[in-house]
Amino acid sequence: MAHQAHAYHMVDPSPWPLTGAIAALLMTSGLAIWFHFHSTVLMTLGLILLLLTMYQWWRDIIREGTFQGHHTPPVQKGLRYGMILFITSEVFFFLGFFWAFYHSSLAPTPELGGCWPPTGITPLDPFEVPLLNTAVLLASGVTVTWAHHSIMEGERKQAIQSLTLTILLGLYFTALQATEYYEAPFTIADGVYGSTFFVATGFHGLHVIIGSTFLAVCLLRQVQYHFTSEHHFGFEAAAWYWHFVDVVWLFLYVSIYWWGS
Amino acid sequence: MAEDIQQKLEQYRTAPFDARFPNQNQTRNCWQNYLDYYRCQKALDAKGVDTAPCDWYKRVYKSLCPLSWIEKWDTQREDGTFPGKI
Repeated sequence: MAHQAHAYHMVDPSPWPLTGAIAALLMTSGLAIWFHFHSTVLMTLGLILLLLTMYQWWRDIIREGTFQGHHTPPVQKGLRYGMILFITSEVFFFLGFFWAFYHSSLAPTPELGGCWPPTGITPLDPFEVPLLNTAVLLASGVTVTWAHHSIMEGERKQAIQSLTLTILLGLYFTALQATEYYEAPFTIADGVYGSTFFVATGFHGLHVIIGSTFLAVCLLRQVQYHFTSEHHFGFEAAAWYWHFVDVVWLFLYVSIYWWGS
Repeated sequence: MAEDIQQKLEQYRTAPFDARFPNQNQTRNCWQNYLDYYRCQKALDAKGVDTAPCDWYKRVYKSLCPLSWIEKWDTQREDGTFPGKI
């Protein structure tokens, strides 16, 4: 019987890259069909396929790593590089929206009244809900670090408590931001102010939801004894992502909410 | 200063170099002088003083600004939708 004579992971054949690619195709073409022919069937199908792909692909990774021992130190190193590179790409994604914001706000055109905020726009008070949101995310950064140390020190109950608290803070942020969106005196259609505000904060909010979901999966895994005090990369990846989301918010807060008012 | 302004207006040929707007894009130069003219009018009217010095700004913006912009802004001022602060 042949055994592998190396520490790397030669992954078994998997259908999920294909289903993921098909999902991407269905979602994009579905979007076009929705725009032109008013039918959401194709797009919805693509979305369902995407969710199924994500669930099964990541489930398989957990099986390979946690239950089958394929995530040796070199393999874990590769996963770390992967997560870091992904987060770096997300940094560039947000950099674009910050570029757009500064382009329009540093030299406001006559159409806006030559000023920022533009004439007619009443910006949100940065010292009200936005400041609370900042405190919420900063606190969640503390609780996620608490969770990490709890995991490393084998404190199961504390890890579950602090991770739960982190997720609750994330949900609280999302709820607060949702009410802010509902109550705001301006919309995405209100000139370049509305566009830059809602696209930048909107993508950020989406990332908060993604990050909260990632942490929730980690909570389920922690409860089910997946993590050891030495090996818990899934959690670390989620924590890195969560810190990234927090940092993006800090830049949003200082640039758009505070300076931009 | 008032005779100087009359002299300046008489000798006016076109908008002189304004170091505040040194680059190729002169949009802000046009916009600023348009605003300054109407702000000057408003301020001097409020004081009940002769608004002749304001004419400098008018000459400059008339030299620099595209006619369509001036028309658009004049209409906006009449409608009360002019975005600039006067």
